[in-house]
Amino acid sequence: MTREITYVQAVAEAIDEELARDDDVILFGEDVEEFGGNFGETEGLYQKHGRDRVRNTPLSEIGIAGMALGAAVGGIRPVAELQFADFAATAGDEVFNQIPKQPYVSGGKLKAPLTIFAPSGAGIGAGAQHSQSVHSWLGNVPGWVVVTATTPYDAKGLFKSAIRDDNPVFFLPHKMLSETKGEVPEEEYTLALGEAAVEEEGDDVTVVATQLMFHRAREATADLDIDVEIINPRTFAPLDTETIAESVRKTGRLVVVDETVERYGTQGHIANEIVENDFFSLDAPPKTIGVKNVPIPLSPPLEQEVLPSADRIAAGIESLF
Amino acid sequence: MTQNVSVDDETARQFLEGMLRIDIFEEETKERFGEGEIPGFVHLSGGHEGSHIGMGAAMGDDDWLAVGGARLIGQYIAKGVPLPDIMAELYGRVGGSNKGHGGQMHVSDIGRKLYGHAATIGSGQNPAVGLALAEEIQETDNVAVTTIGDGGTSRGSFHTALVFAAYWDLPVVFVIENNEWAISTPAESLSPDHLSDYGIPHKMATESIDGSDVEAVYHTVSEAIERARNGGGPTVIESRVARLVPHFEGDKETYRDTDEYERLKEEKDPIENYRERLLERDIVTETGIEDMIANIETEVKEAVEFARESPEPEPEAAYDHVYRTPLYGQGENQ
Repeated sequence: MTREITYVQAVAEAIDEELARDDDVILFGEDVEEFGGNFGETEGLYQKHGRDRVRNTPLSEIGIAGMALGAAVGGIRPVAELQFADFAATAGDEVFNQIPKQPYVSGGKLKAPLTIFAPSGAGIGAGAQHSQSVHSWLGNVPGWVVVTATTPYDAKGLFKSAIRDDNPVFFLPHKMLSETKGEVPEEEYTLALGEAAVEEEGDDVTVVATQLMFHRAREATADLDIDVEIINPRTFAPLDTETIAESVRKTGRLVVVDETVERYGTQGHIANEIVENDFFSLDAPPKTIGVKNVPIPLSPPLEQEVLPSADRIAAGIESLF
Repeated sequence: MTQNVSVDDETARQFLEGMLRIDIFEEETKERFGEGEIPGFVHLSGGHEGSHIGMGAAMGDDDWLAVGGARLIGQYIAKGVPLPDIMAELYGRVGGSNKGHGGQMHVSDIGRKLYGHAATIGSGQNPAVGLALAEEIQETDNVAVTTIGDGGTSRGSFHTALVFAAYWDLPVVFVIENNEWAISTPAESLSPDHLSDYGIPHKMATESIDGSDVEAVYHTVSEAIERARNGGGPTVIESRVARLVPHFEGDKETYRDTDEYERLKEEKDPIENYRERLLERDIVTETGIEDMIANIETEVKEAVEFARESPEPEPEAAYDHVYRTPLYGQGENQ
């Protein structure tokens, strides 16, 4: 049985179910209690699970991320929210040096089963410091499992797995998708981490896209007379390169569209994996599309200018033929 | 001035022995590093031995220690990590506490509740708050002790940890080992009279003590742990010590005043002072101390032999421990 719920409801359901399922799971972050999160992602959880399990924190990402690390090593399973993905940088040392590296430098003796989640992405006129997509930052630091959510189905199933996983997981919903609706099973389910999903099958070109860009890619391809295969990586690190490569072996063409900045972004990395390992399966050079190499501006015409639009994606696909 | 001995004779002897163990182990480390047997760089604990042993003795086996500052080896020893595990880790060998993935700055021993170290100075205190939170949620009465140097207290992350610990009144004991030098920057340039004063706005208990006196450290940390165990919340302790060694081996210390340095070596050596104190009160004899030293030298020699004989890691081991695999659900549908 399925029903339609919003993406942000799916996020809240994932946390709710994991709090109910496992006493070791706790949720903390700024404004996660009565306020319910900026997008409603923690609504109702405090009333249901109480203040021991759902805790407001003082305003410091350093404290939130650092405490999550210690709590995880200490034997519980923290789920910690940063209000915007950009704030990964305000907890820079914790996010880049401590959490992903402590299990490694311990020789695997230390376990840090924590999940940090943070709404990412542009499109709401939130400006340069509240709009970034940071999976390229995080993917560059081995030790993080980096997961994005594209649909309500993904959001719930992947978030539940993130919480259950024994690695540090950075889970990135997209704020523009908060109110989008989609089918989600009534019954309990999880989705595998580290596995890409073939969302649409096609023979002519492989388009790799996630979060908002997945939806824009679908919009872009609706009117094209090209048979497009769309792959949603879901987990960016470690990346399921094989599913993408297998698709390119079939289609011979690759377009990677992502909301990370083009310069040193995810797009280049994914394209390079194919160029280095599957060059002779390509009938055309790979096309990479991302945020232009500027900070994300506020004014809507400026903001839309730097984000990949459906038109830019369509043009990118057509340029390969 | 003759100081009293405030602990029983056996405990006093253990304190002296513990400090000597750090000193002898580190002297050997210095030699081995000088001979090129130990990679990376090495920071030694000279002057901090009393602070380390007093703190370690105050802690229960199930209390967490998240070490900070740069004087680390003494703290690992004080938490009970076996010497061969530490030495082999310094050597970067398979038999090391962290299989060579960590080295001198990252010895951790989860079984002994040694969390390890944030080598980016001043980032270990928030994890310590998290460790205390985990203990509270698991309804134990264990506490988390965390150390930091005077330099690290200038990091915002240290102050954030105080905010968070106070917010939930968590069982955390912050020990600031103030040796007056952040490499070459003197702590006296910082505003507070005592660095423990940083706890005052958070309404925490604060103490500033002579950290070169092992007994003072033992009593003060014991009291703070007891308070934390009984729901009394966090404490900030400034343990004032002298740094009687270079910041790291190779530091020429051109910034230090020679006379003052000599005076500190004369007056603030925790081992020498305690040795005299116990001898004066007939708690130990010269022969007893010689035996103690001989036994420790044997232990240290064995630790070096263990490290030398422990294999170098296979290069492929560099890829281990990045992720625990399979990831959740991975491969289940294939």
